[in-house]
Amino acid sequence: MKVPYSWLKEFVDIQVSPQEVADRLNETGIEAVAYPFGERIENIVVGKILSVGKHPERDKLLVCKVSDGEREYQIITGATNVFPNGKVVLAKEGAVIQGKTIKPVKFGSLQSEGMLLSLEELGIGEDAEGILILPDEVKEGEDPNKLLGLGEDWIIEIEITPNRGDALSVKGLAREVGAVFGLKKRDKKPSVEIPQDDSIKIQVLTDKAYRYRGVIIQGVEIKPSPFDIQLKLIKAGQKPINNVVDITNYILLEEGQPLHAFDLDKIEGEVVVREAKEGEKVITLDGEERSLKQGDIVIADSKKVIAIAGIIGADNTKVDSNTRNILLEGAVFDNIQVRKTAKRLGITTESSYRFERGVDIQNLPNAQDRAVELILQTATGKATGYKDIYTKPYIPKEITLREKTTKRVLGIDIPKEEAKELLERLEIPTEITEGGTVSKIPAFRSLDLEREIDLVEEVGRLKGLNKLSETYPKIPTQAFRKSDEFNFDRRTRDFFKDIGFDEVVSYTFVDEEIYSILGLPVPPIRIKNYLLKIQSIMRDNLAVSLIKTLQYNLRFQNRDLKIFEISSTFFEDYEEIRLGLLATGKINRGFDFTKGETQYSTTQNWDFLKIKGAVESYLKMLGLDGVKYTQIDLPYINPYEGAKVSVNGVEVGYVGRIHPEKAEMLEIPKDTYIAELKLRCVGRTLNNQECGSDYLFNLWKNKDTVVFQELPKFPAVKRSLAFEVDEDLQVDKLLEAVKNFSPKIEAVELFDIYYLDENRKSVAVSVLFRDKEKSLSDEEVNQLVEQLVKDLQNRFNLKLRT
Amino acid sequence: MNLIDQIKALKEEALRLIDKAVDLEKLNSVRVEFLGKKGKLKAILKTLGKLSPEERKQVGQLANTVKEELEERIKQKEEELKKQALAEELKKNKVDITLPHSWIEVGSAHPVISTMFEIVETFVAMGFSVAQGPEVEKEAYNFDMLNIPPDHPARDMQDTFFINKEGYVLRTHTSPVQIRAMLTQKPPISIVAPGRVYRKDADPTHSPMFHQIEGLLVDEGITFRDLKGILKIFLETTFGKDIPIRFRPSYFPFTEPSAEVDIGCTVCKGSGCRVCKDTGWLEILGCGMVDPNVFDAVGIDWERYTGFAFGLGVERIAMLKYQINDIRLLFDNNMKFNHQFKGIR
Repeated sequence: MKVPYSWLKEFVDIQVSPQEVADRLNETGIEAVAYPFGERIENIVVGKILSVGKHPERDKLLVCKVSDGEREYQIITGATNVFPNGKVVLAKEGAVIQGKTIKPVKFGSLQSEGMLLSLEELGIGEDAEGILILPDEVKEGEDPNKLLGLGEDWIIEIEITPNRGDALSVKGLAREVGAVFGLKKRDKKPSVEIPQDDSIKIQVLTDKAYRYRGVIIQGVEIKPSPFDIQLKLIKAGQKPINNVVDITNYILLEEGQPLHAFDLDKIEGEVVVREAKEGEKVITLDGEERSLKQGDIVIADSKKVIAIAGIIGADNTKVDSNTRNILLEGAVFDNIQVRKTAKRLGITTESSYRFERGVDIQNLPNAQDRAVELILQTATGKATGYKDIYTKPYIPKEITLREKTTKRVLGIDIPKEEAKELLERLEIPTEITEGGTVSKIPAFRSLDLEREIDLVEEVGRLKGLNKLSETYPKIPTQAFRKSDEFNFDRRTRDFFKDIGFDEVVSYTFVDEEIYSILGLPVPPIRIKNYLLKIQSIMRDNLAVSLIKTLQYNLRFQNRDLKIFEISSTFFEDYEEIRLGLLATGKINRGFDFTKGETQYSTTQNWDFLKIKGAVESYLKMLGLDGVKYTQIDLPYINPYEGAKVSVNGVEVGYVGRIHPEKAEMLEIPKDTYIAELKLRCVGRTLNNQECGSDYLFNLWKNKDTVVFQELPKFPAVKRSLAFEVDEDLQVDKLLEAVKNFSPKIEAVELFDIYYLDENRKSVAVSVLFRDKEKSLSDEEVNQLVEQLVKDLQNRFNLKLRT
Repeated sequence: MNLIDQIKALKEEALRLIDKAVDLEKLNSVRVEFLGKKGKLKAILKTLGKLSPEERKQVGQLANTVKEELEERIKQKEEELKKQALAEELKKNKVDITLPHSWIEVGSAHPVISTMFEIVETFVAMGFSVAQGPEVEKEAYNFDMLNIPPDHPARDMQDTFFINKEGYVLRTHTSPVQIRAMLTQKPPISIVAPGRVYRKDADPTHSPMFHQIEGLLVDEGITFRDLKGILKIFLETTFGKDIPIRFRPSYFPFTEPSAEVDIGCTVCKGSGCRVCKDTGWLEILGCGMVDPNVFDAVGIDWERYTGFAFGLGVERIAMLKYQINDIRLLFDNNMKFNHQFKGIR
């Protein structure tokens, strides 16, 4: 809300600069900035339009003759709201308007000797439609700078938090400024006499209109408002329309009370405030047809809806230049209902904005009568009567503020005398009692101040939270819990970063298309009111995001990628925190100088064993053994270069190469490798019961601690053995069989594989034999080898090669 | 020439040849020529028999000394030549030490995660535990129990993404983790909760997905001044010892009194710039004392306990720290952006 400083001063005798007012408001809880209203412009003058004619060649332009009292100017304008005798602001040669200096310009055959200015061009408004028309009483030749107060007045623009509807008016802000600076606010009392007339046909049929007060004014003359009212509205950022409408806006700004004027002669029968009927239609003042729902509050006559309560009036009873008699509505509607309806209809008006945040029900007659007074002054007419339907008068709530509560919350002593003083500055009547104060909350703060803590806040903010000195609490040690999940994530992150992967953070929402390309079912969680369709599915794996990141980078020629992400994937009842890896292209760069005279570039490319190595090293780093790789069945992974990964029988993820078909569809390199590991689970219940424990985090947390083993005392014997086996035998199985054959076999290492023919291959291993109790003799080892081979032959189609 | 002179001459010749030897092969042939079984010295010694015992002894001694001397000299020369040969070999195989390395490059940290972890660690160091909650959150935890009833204007402050799961939303802040903590623990409670949050908003300074850190301390005797103390430690740790700090009263439904915390603009140091919109201040976090209604919702007695809570946006701090001007860069993952952050934690 924009509040002209001069207007504010009508309510409070503030002597400091507008900037200081803004600063202090910021310190006490209302965001405020102060800036000058416009800026002085040289070479502008009030002009009177003598004539308006068409441009002979340009049909969108008009030619005006304008007098500044001394001479006549020919002005070409594109504005359409010019008319003979209209008073306008004329910028003459040399005036600087929005950074541009006015010079005579030719439009076709005609010369324009200046420019007629709009509010925007004057630097005081956003309305660029049409030029500013000044009231008739202004004389040509006058200085518009003085007239408009350009560069003289200031604007304080405030933004309130949702609880401070009371400050959304000039008067309300004056109250706040008064409280902050310890000044008393002045009120404006109307002196108009309106007879009560309960025969006025108004009925309230809903309990969501807390007060409804109608005033009948007859014989008004609709015309432009006096200039001072127009100017105030302009300064506050509003567009003057006509006297009656302007005054309702004026009072809304000044008193914070929304008012609505109906053309009384367009109302048919009785005015009823009631709930809307389902599907009831109304065309509102903005020209839109609105469809109402049960629960919405409307003002209706016998035939039609004439306003959506507290939000916007209907076109059918609008005040126009022919209006003679009006019904001036002043009301307070249920803030929640106004908000619901306004939100559903997608309208925010000055009126709904205030009703949603609370309007002072006690001040209604005062504000409305001020409006009546101003209407009578500017539009003549006679207020013939009012009817005030106010069935449950406001009873101020009493709230006790204990000194000890203030101390407990703020950490400082505020004696009750001081508390009383602070609260009374806010116009909250307060009495001192035993150990504290009791306040009677006025209606203008009734939504905000309901509990003791609310008063603590009031005294605290007036005292200045900024001024409180710091203390340092003991962090309760019994609350200290080891942050295992955080530490686990941190170790994981550090590991992959340190072994050369780049950390990425991608959106957790993706598009459906990638799921269909990858051949995956669409995951369960979807955003209903998404911003973009391509960001509407909550992913259930990280591969989709990693692939998207790759695609994006390919557009920038970033072809070598090794990235990781630790992030959420979404399932019906829980979320999995996963680790995702994607690698493609070169793994490193550099040169090898050992190969003689030529120094080769030695960049290596990613392959399955390398990405598997990254995964397995990570598991080793976590101290997890018992890693197994088994046949994978994922539609986007090449089944012959991919594997499910399990640790001690718990499946924890997969690693593999992209399926070449999918790579082609996705337009990504075929040597793209992806891995995903399930790190941990976050449930949606308080005890995470939906999660289970099949996660690396759980395995890590529950793993055995390392126990030191005695170092071997006796030497080991190494034997190399080559086996001929079937081509499709997985080496892992063979190695495991060798390792498990005898406790005297300490280690097995694969050193060579080659293919003998289509069906058979040779696998060479070196086996380390050791006895913990004694030195092994050659013979003993030979015997062990013999037994081993026999055992292996029982398991596999195997021959020892010699 | 008597034998003694012969030996002396032989020695001179041998020394000369040893000196001249250019490689081990040459040196070896000198050794064979003079000291070998059929060498020149042996040949001289073969004539020893013809001499008197006296002379024999004299010549024999000389021959031995010469032999030892020559052997010593050859050994020396050998070492010299080996050294030389090695030096040549090394030189031949020299490395251009300025060639690019062939080890893997270290990976880059993401500035947002890095900032988030750093902040969390500051609080962990003060004794806070790390808590977590789901991103698909119960509406009750995200709003109602935080004193944000349906149709309250405060719900407008956070444009919510709704999902196809009744009663759940994408959490709009990390504050519901407070509720989870208070429902599962009895006071005293001290947690920080980092995490992703979602709001329906997208422009150069707003992303529909971003990160927050929530903090909560509940115990007997916790005051607003304690909140100021803890936040001061955090802000000074993060932005430097002399950073100006300002508490402005504000409004959040789940705290009362509430405040926004500003720090002196880190870009212009308070003189006014585009980043701080000429105010000299940057809004950095929101905080306040836990509202009694929140305690009511989770069953904590406000007459006995008080608590404070705070929440901050990680992207904002990361963007300030690294002077990143568009939030969308953070989630594009263009490696030309990410690789700029190799040296950070």
